[in-house]
Amino acid sequence: MKAIRKQRLATVFLILTTSALGSFLIIRALDSNLDFFFTPSELFLENIPNNKRIKVGGMVLDGSVTRDKTNISFVITDYEGSINVEFDGIVPDLFKEGSGVVVLGYLKDKTVIAEDVLAKHDENYMPPSIDIKN
Amino acid sequence: MLIEIAHFLSIVATGLFFLCFIFSIFFDSKDVYIINLVSRIYSHSFFIFLSSFLIYVWLAINDNFSVLYIAQHSNINLPVFYKISSIWSAHEGSMFLWIIFLTTWGVVYNFSTKNDQLLKARTLGIISLTSVGFLLFLLLTSNPFETILPLPPENGADINPVLQDPLLAIHPPMLYLGYVGFVIAFGQAIAFMLEGDPKIKWEKQVRSWSVASWSFLTLGIALGSWWAYYELGWGGYWFWDPVENVALMPWLAATAFIHSLSASSKSSILRIWTLLLSILVFSLSLFGAFIVRSGIIDSVHSFANDPERGLYLLSFIGILVMTSLLLFSLRFNLLISSKKIVSLSKESFISINNIFFGALIFSTMLGVLYPLIYEFIFDQKISVGAPFYNAIFVPVTLIACIFLYFSIDSKWQQSFNLKALYQPLFLSIIFSVIIVSLIFFQFSISGFWTLMSLTVGLIIIIRYLIVIYFYFAYKRFANFFSIISHCGLGLLIISIALNDNLSSERALNIKINETEIYKDHQITFTNLRVVPESNYDSVKADFLVTNPNGDTFTLTPEKRKYFARGQVTSETAIHASVLKDIYMTIGDQLDDGSWIVNIQFNIFIRWIWFSAIMMVVAGLLLVHSLARSKA
Repeated sequence: MKAIRKQRLATVFLILTTSALGSFLIIRALDSNLDFFFTPSELFLENIPNNKRIKVGGMVLDGSVTRDKTNISFVITDYEGSINVEFDGIVPDLFKEGSGVVVLGYLKDKTVIAEDVLAKHDENYMPPSIDIKN
Repeated sequence: MLIEIAHFLSIVATGLFFLCFIFSIFFDSKDVYIINLVSRIYSHSFFIFLSSFLIYVWLAINDNFSVLYIAQHSNINLPVFYKISSIWSAHEGSMFLWIIFLTTWGVVYNFSTKNDQLLKARTLGIISLTSVGFLLFLLLTSNPFETILPLPPENGADINPVLQDPLLAIHPPMLYLGYVGFVIAFGQAIAFMLEGDPKIKWEKQVRSWSVASWSFLTLGIALGSWWAYYELGWGGYWFWDPVENVALMPWLAATAFIHSLSASSKSSILRIWTLLLSILVFSLSLFGAFIVRSGIIDSVHSFANDPERGLYLLSFIGILVMTSLLLFSLRFNLLISSKKIVSLSKESFISINNIFFGALIFSTMLGVLYPLIYEFIFDQKISVGAPFYNAIFVPVTLIACIFLYFSIDSKWQQSFNLKALYQPLFLSIIFSVIIVSLIFFQFSISGFWTLMSLTVGLIIIIRYLIVIYFYFAYKRFANFFSIISHCGLGLLIISIALNDNLSSERALNIKINETEIYKDHQITFTNLRVVPESNYDSVKADFLVTNPNGDTFTLTPEKRKYFARGQVTSETAIHASVLKDIYMTIGDQLDDGSWIVNIQFNIFIRWIWFSAIMMVVAGLLLVHSLARSKA
């Protein structure tokens, strides 16, 4: 009986340590791979290192879109602050001035160098944080 | 009038399904009279519910826009095919379809199982209960029968243009068939635990059902991935979007489940795993429904945000899972097997890989829920993207594959004989290392994980080729279902690694009659046409591409403007060959008249879906063979 108990205890101990170790590794991987979401006005309140991937959401400012060959630059605003965005490539069909957009990229000299520009499938979409303020 | 009849029939069916549940649970479920009764009520309520659905399809085909849902999602100009598929293009109708499939699995089970089967009545009862849960959800929170009276619109709005695609019309049905098919395994597992007789071999009875559902789920996910690839214009096949993740979790659980099932249907070893997994698979399927329907997570798929629906589904799933787990803990003593798992037996490998599957499911779940938790605690919005999932999935999958590799030719309940397997193990490793080195020098592929993935994928495939060789040369045993599906897995890993490492893209700025060169391919913009279609206008751009061998072909990406909603969509143009896809999308026109186009070389991408097809084929063949051996 004692031997069985010892064995069981060892098994339980083994399971607990491996799952603790596993969870620790997973959460570490999670923490180093998060994309933080900001609105333009929040962006300058924080000190964001330029190797940190971020998401910025807001509205494309009217009249701010300029293009040069395949590059496009525009301003995202939440009507309290705004930020320049530069992107090389094709923007989605729903991207237009005065409508909602989310960009994924890195901050560099007060400009977001975007890797991805996302406009939502729904044309009535508003980034959630702006929805509340207006 | 037809609308009211359809609505009424659904309500009647709900009542009858509930009756079915009551009879099977509170009466003696072994009494032949009760089993016959439950079986009959079930079939009747199914056919009543089916007629309700068929009337609804009829209404959709005939443009009955006094039905609010049809008016909002269909259009008089749509081809009949899309009029039908518009039913599952949004929330209410797709829920309707979901329940039809749920009850269809039940009725097929009902007809194909003899009434003397011990668990039949209660299994039907559990299936009825879940159906009632979803039917109430449908009728109370998302009623598809709501009408616009007295003046229905004439034309109807439109189905979202991105969804006007033959593939997308069949992707949701396949996926739903997979999701809800696990209700049979779940129902049998619960019935088995209610009965509490460890001698009943429920695992054997659910095997073909579960493998069939798994095949549908695999196919549904692959179709969705293929659709996203050619329709969304991003050129990828998987985006780690929350909705993809909630389909991946039940798939992982189901894969672990059907493996455990193959062990526990032979002996009672791994029984606890199998039971827990059957509950897990079904709960994760329902959890997926909750995530998509409640809109609590930002995703390209999310239907309109509705807290009431979310709350209903969450409570329903919560009660179902809690009750199942409670039952499980009450019956735990009955389930413990006296047999021990022999180390290095097939069972031992399966249970090790169950742990890996569990780790993947747990990480995916964490990735899906972490943004919610984080925002709740720190009031900061975050999202979890591909880097996290890659960091977890790549190493865990590769380690699991190495265990798979060693499990080939291992025996049930016997330790494996390393000496006998020395030769095939050695050969497959040598061959794959040689091939990977060739690829390494030929294509200058680098990166530890890429090379690892290629090696691991290859050792699996080569190891199975050796098995096939032994089968033909020496008549050794070979399980072809296992061979096909696992070679599919090997191919999947190789394709993903090559695709990730070798694919490239570039945005070009090009005018008509200009030529650009990208990676030794000449691309000439030859023509721009405006083509009017029945429900949209199309702008088509023709590009003549000349590859390094001098072969030429035309790619025609287009932009569409739909009349009904004024929505603009892009259509990609793809030139597919064995090794690579040349993939073009067209963007905006600039002020100087030039266009922005995006060109991608997607290496080996087709093989990703091909490997999924291999898994599906293996699954369906196994179902076929199981059904034959039963008959």
